[in-house]
Amino acid sequence: MLEKLDDLFTSFEKALEEKLLQADVLNLKSEYLGKKGKVSEVLKSLKDVSLEEKKVIGPRANELKEKMNQMVAKKLSAIEIAEINEKLAKEKIDITNRESVQALGIKSGGYHPATIIQREVEDIFLSMGFDILDGPHIEDEFHNFEALNIPADHPARDMQDTFWFQKPTGENSYLLRTHTSTIQVRGMTSRKPPFKFIAPGKVFRCERTDASHEMVFHQLEGMMVGEDISVAHLTYFMKTVLKEIFKKDMEIRLRPGFFPFVEPGFELDIECQVCKGKGCSVCKKTGWVELLPCGMVHPNVLEAGGIDSEKYNGFAFGLGLDRLVMMRYGIDDIRHLHGADLRFISQFRTY
Amino acid sequence: MLISIDWINDFVKTPDMDPGKLGEKFTLATAEVEGILTSGAHLTKMCVAQVLEFEKHPEADKLNLVTFEITGGEKRTVVCGASNVKIGMKTPFAPIGTVLPGGFELTPKKIRGVLSEGMLCSESELGLSEESQGIMELPAKAPTGERLDKYFKETPDVLLDIDNKSLTHRPDLWGHYGMAREFSAIFKNPLKNPFDEKWQKDLERNISGGNSPVKVKFDGDSAGIGYYGLTVKNIKVGESPAWMKKRLTAIGLRPINSIVDISNYVMLELGFPNHIFDRDLIEGDEVIIKRVGEETTFITLDEEERKLVAEDTVICDSKKALVIGGLMGGLNSGVNEKTNTVFLEVANWKAAQVRRTSTRLGLRTDSSQRYEKSLDSHLMKRTLLRLLELIIKLNPDAEVIGGIEYDGKEYWKDEALVKPLSLSKINSVLGTELKSEEVKEILESLDFHVKGDDPFAITVPTYRATKDIEHPDDIIEEIGRIIGYDNIASTAPKWEMIPARLTPAQALHRKIRDYMVYHAKSFEVMTYPLVGEKLYKNASWPINDDHLLLNALSVTQNRMRPSLIPSLLEAAGLNTKNYSEFRLFELGRSYLKSKDNFQDERSQLGMVFYDHGKTPFIDLCNHVETLLQTTNIPGELVPIHPKFKNPLISEDWGGIHPFEFLNIRVMGKMVGAVLSIHPVLLRKFKIKGHVSMAILDMTNFESNRLKDKTKYKPLPKFPGSKFDCTVVLDTDRPVGDILTSMKKIKIKEMDSFKVLDIFSEGDKKNITVRASFIDPDKTLSGEFLAEAQKMIMDNLSKSGFPLKK
Repeated sequence: MLEKLDDLFTSFEKALEEKLLQADVLNLKSEYLGKKGKVSEVLKSLKDVSLEEKKVIGPRANELKEKMNQMVAKKLSAIEIAEINEKLAKEKIDITNRESVQALGIKSGGYHPATIIQREVEDIFLSMGFDILDGPHIEDEFHNFEALNIPADHPARDMQDTFWFQKPTGENSYLLRTHTSTIQVRGMTSRKPPFKFIAPGKVFRCERTDASHEMVFHQLEGMMVGEDISVAHLTYFMKTVLKEIFKKDMEIRLRPGFFPFVEPGFELDIECQVCKGKGCSVCKKTGWVELLPCGMVHPNVLEAGGIDSEKYNGFAFGLGLDRLVMMRYGIDDIRHLHGADLRFISQFRTY
Repeated sequence: MLISIDWINDFVKTPDMDPGKLGEKFTLATAEVEGILTSGAHLTKMCVAQVLEFEKHPEADKLNLVTFEITGGEKRTVVCGASNVKIGMKTPFAPIGTVLPGGFELTPKKIRGVLSEGMLCSESELGLSEESQGIMELPAKAPTGERLDKYFKETPDVLLDIDNKSLTHRPDLWGHYGMAREFSAIFKNPLKNPFDEKWQKDLERNISGGNSPVKVKFDGDSAGIGYYGLTVKNIKVGESPAWMKKRLTAIGLRPINSIVDISNYVMLELGFPNHIFDRDLIEGDEVIIKRVGEETTFITLDEEERKLVAEDTVICDSKKALVIGGLMGGLNSGVNEKTNTVFLEVANWKAAQVRRTSTRLGLRTDSSQRYEKSLDSHLMKRTLLRLLELIIKLNPDAEVIGGIEYDGKEYWKDEALVKPLSLSKINSVLGTELKSEEVKEILESLDFHVKGDDPFAITVPTYRATKDIEHPDDIIEEIGRIIGYDNIASTAPKWEMIPARLTPAQALHRKIRDYMVYHAKSFEVMTYPLVGEKLYKNASWPINDDHLLLNALSVTQNRMRPSLIPSLLEAAGLNTKNYSEFRLFELGRSYLKSKDNFQDERSQLGMVFYDHGKTPFIDLCNHVETLLQTTNIPGELVPIHPKFKNPLISEDWGGIHPFEFLNIRVMGKMVGAVLSIHPVLLRKFKIKGHVSMAILDMTNFESNRLKDKTKYKPLPKFPGSKFDCTVVLDTDRPVGDILTSMKKIKIKEMDSFKVLDIFSEGDKKNITVRASFIDPDKTLSGEFLAEAQKMIMDNLSKSGFPLKK
């Protein structure tokens, strides 16, 4: 009987191997292991054998049955995986055919480089408690000149190449703002000291354009007003901000500069980043590059903003944002900034 | 402006330091030194050459190959075009590497195939005269090979090139004497004053007084403040002495004749302009300062005809105008070689008026540049006497006729400007801990007089008090710049902590940019706010002259744009050349004019989606809707409405696609639109393919904080139910109509009603819609659902959407 069982197992094993479909496997299973299956048939004659033999055959039969069940389960699972894989093979995709290899136009997006820098600078000032203000591009003479201590006939008006809408009258003719300093008065009249704010935005100059000159560009004005504000505070803020922008400690120097709305007025130079202060063609061999005008707010400007200049003072500065953009990315032509050419803009893609 | 250190040394000893360092010190304390030049530097490279032989250039008739000897018998050959070459002549030779006056650098170069080892120079090439013929002939006794600076006994001079802009506020720095005072203060070396009272008295001895041949008279109000005149006879106009020519040449002025040169020399020395007339060309016996009174023309000495207006001020004799006050003399009264008697003018003019005339005429002169800064009348007499001193020096026979004539303001009665200033204020503004003595020493080195001790009473020198120093803060600057701003340590202010945050508009703009970049896959661009008529014609977009510039640089950018749309169309046209598909946006302004305001600046978002193959309109609409939700703008897309017009786009604009247009309505107002551009208009911008645009004007709501309307509801405890049904529509009927009609049914348990599927079949389309029901309080009953489904189906068929059978 033992031989019979072993023969059955061998024939089962052989038959199972040949089966490829789930149904055939299940049929085979019931053919051998079902109630009326081949194994049961063999075991029917168990009652005719001796007790000794029973003790051997019984466990052996169970062992084989268990083994056969496992083989069936394994076979079924293999068939299922094969079936699914076959289906997956039919749905197979080309995993190299991603957007990045397709000529579909542009599937990415990005901020304008001026926005990137402006936001970065805004965030630095915001983190130090500066408000951010905005103002009109079309201004009057009062905000662009008079309030900033630049009366009519002042020689300093030569420094401003102003676009005019009307003939200058010395008071209320309209013009395109030549600097973001126009915000100073608007900022001062809308708040009480102490306060500090910045004002980024577009400014306009009536100037022939070339790779480094534009008639529309971006500036960022800053102002801080309170009691006992000093030149030492101004340099503190400038150093802090420049360190954040350039991501390292910056050597700066202040030298006298004339701007009617500040007194004392300064030009702030930074160490030339090309030659590290040794002197090169970029810095005209001086080791320094002019970066921003700044100074202590002129008492006439404070008064124009309705602030008691006996009690309060402050500092102000103007930062050329486009200059920073060009320095950061090594942009060779400022006219790209307003050119709306995606060949330029798409280089600043975010993803 | 060029400043000669040699000249400065007349008044103060400048320290013996590297010119670069000297310039840097001056930059940090006073005004920007843009460059440092050494005059006569070329002479140190050049030497005396003696011509040995010459022959014709093999390739050119007019050129010679000249061989000559320099130091120690060394020979050189150059190609030379001068016709006066002779064997044995002595002439100046400039080797390769010499930089000649005017900036021309000699580099190794072949001339018609022959290498020239430098150049034999003419007088004009050496800057010694205006014009010259042939190479310069030196005396036969000139030692061959001697360096030219030694031969000419020239000492090189260092010249500082100072940025004029940084002197805008300093009328006192437009002459060497004023500059010398700065060197004195910066380097703490005493300033010599050659123009003291003794000097003045000595010179006045030359003036006997009596009847002057030319008197001075103000006639009514004018640009004049004061006018000094003095007549001197027995003048010989000739060449100026070498020392004077050298100084003038060094700082870039052309020597003309001894009298004109004196006039210029004194201006460059003392910073005060003056004018010298030929007395015989003044008709009558007085000069009159007055306004022109009527429009007229005047020929200035540069031979240009100038149009004068009534308000301009001129100096006249009995018959004619002689000088435009503060600007330039006339061709009719200048000094010439026959002049024997001169009339010296030193006058002061009102800055604003000189500036106005100068700006109008487009005529900026050395005089007007100085007068514009507001000069000090107290300096007039010194200037006049210095002129006289030099005239006598160069013309020993010169003789003053009459006395010093003056008319004008009695400036000597003006009170001195005294400003109080406390030490604590100085230290507080600068952030320093200066002592009283330090402050006094600095101010006195700059000629301020300091009395008292905290607060000081500071008397401002008259030449700084015309406009430059008005406030105590101006005096603080003087102290700051002399101690050096580098010596002030940075410190953080002690301030209250005040949180700062973005304004609602700024936060909105940031959110929009983020959405557009990350979700709408768009690039941010900037276009010019200035536009021209041509673009608007091309875009068939109306334009007016509301914001036309008076002084535009070009017709393509001569006014402010009233809309972003034409600019964005242009940007689209530019980019279709390079891309088959793109998306871009701009957050910018357009500029309108309202009844009450000249400027009504609109804050707008413009979006452009371009696709070569298929219309991107639906994609754009989807993004606009999502953007509105993202930014909490309570807006929706609605079709053209007969009553509510869109103020941003006229319905008759030819650029509107007939079927792809929706208004953006926010809080009941049309504030934008999504549209595709008509192919006919696209053709004008050379665009093939499809362009859809969106425009949104945020001006009216961006300054409000837009609320996030998210409301949490507990999760449902009871199951909901869905109902699908399919209706049949004509192909060209919009599916949106079904949703619109469904809005009429009010079933509070109906959670949503959406299109599930669209399936076209011939000229019809089958639309499957799905309604979802839920009741938070109970399970929906079969009866309720049956009732609700019936209501929906009835409504659909009543509205013309029959159920599919």
